[in-house]
Amino acid sequence: MTQERFISQVREQQEPLRRFLLALCNGDAALADDIAQDALVRAYVASGSFLGLSKFSTWLFRIAYNCYIDNCRKAKPEKAPVEEAYNLPGTDTTDKSFRYQQLYQALEKLPEKEKAAIALFYFEDRSIKEISAILDMPAGTVKYQLSMGRNHLKQHIQL
Amino acid sequence: MKEIEDFLRENKPQVKKDPTFILETRRRLEQVEGIKSEVDRQRHHGRVALIVALCAGLAIGVVAAALAFFYPVDAQSATEGIVQSIRLFLQNYRQYLLMPIALLAILLGVVLSKKPVQI
Repeated sequence: MTQERFISQVREQQEPLRRFLLALCNGDAALADDIAQDALVRAYVASGSFLGLSKFSTWLFRIAYNCYIDNCRKAKPEKAPVEEAYNLPGTDTTDKSFRYQQLYQALEKLPEKEKAAIALFYFEDRSIKEISAILDMPAGTVKYQLSMGRNHLKQHIQL
Repeated sequence: MKEIEDFLRENKPQVKKDPTFILETRRRLEQVEGIKSEVDRQRHHGRVALIVALCAGLAIGVVAAALAFFYPVDAQSATEGIVQSIRLFLQNYRQYLLMPIALLAILLGVVLSKKPVQI
C-alpha cells in the first residue's frame, strides 16, 4: 500500500479511531491521540500484510486496540483527572459537560474488554461480528462483555 | 437497561477537529520511510560486501591452489623454518615483549571497568 493511499484511508478513519481511543483513555485526548499515532505507524509498517480479508477499519481498530493494551501494560501512567479530561467543543452546555464527566468516570471503572466492547458497539455502531474481530474474542463473549459492561455502567451512572 | 443504552448513544465522546493530526501522521510515516530506506541501503551494502568477500576468497583460493600445484614446496622444512625464526625472535626480544603485553592488560582493564554509554 502506498503512503498516499494509506493516508487517504486514514483520513476517513481518523475520527472514529480517535473517538474509540478517547473512550478507552477515559477522555484523555492527548494520550488517545498518541496511541492513535503509534497505531497508525504500526499499521503502515504492517500494511504489506493487510490482505483485505477484513475491512481496513476493522484491521486498523484491532491494531489500535492492541496498541492501547500495550500502553496499559507498559506502565500505569499518571491518569489525568477525569474532571479535566472531558473533551468538549466550546459551545456545549454545562449539563452536557456533566454527562460527559459522568460517562468518563463510569468508563474508568470498567475492565478494558468491557470498555472496548461498549465503545465499539455504542459509540462506533459496530456489529458484534466486527467487534469480535477487533477484540479477538468469540461473538458470545462480546455479548457477555456488553451485558456486563451495561450492568456495571448502570451502577455508576445516575440517570 | 434501555436508559443506559440511550445515554451511551446520545453521549458519544466528541473528538476535537485537529488538522495537525494528519500532518503529524504524515511526518511519522516519512520517518518510517527514511528508516526503511536506510535499512534497505545497509542490507544492500551487506550483500555486496558478502559477494565481494566470497569472490575474493574464491580468487585467493584458486591462486593458492594453482601455486601449490605448479610450485610445490617442502612443507615440513618451510614450517620448521618459520617456527625456528619465531623461537629466535622470542629469545632475543622477550624483555621488550613484556612491556606491551602489560600495557595491553592495563588498557583492557580500564576499558572493561568503564560503564557502557547510554544512547
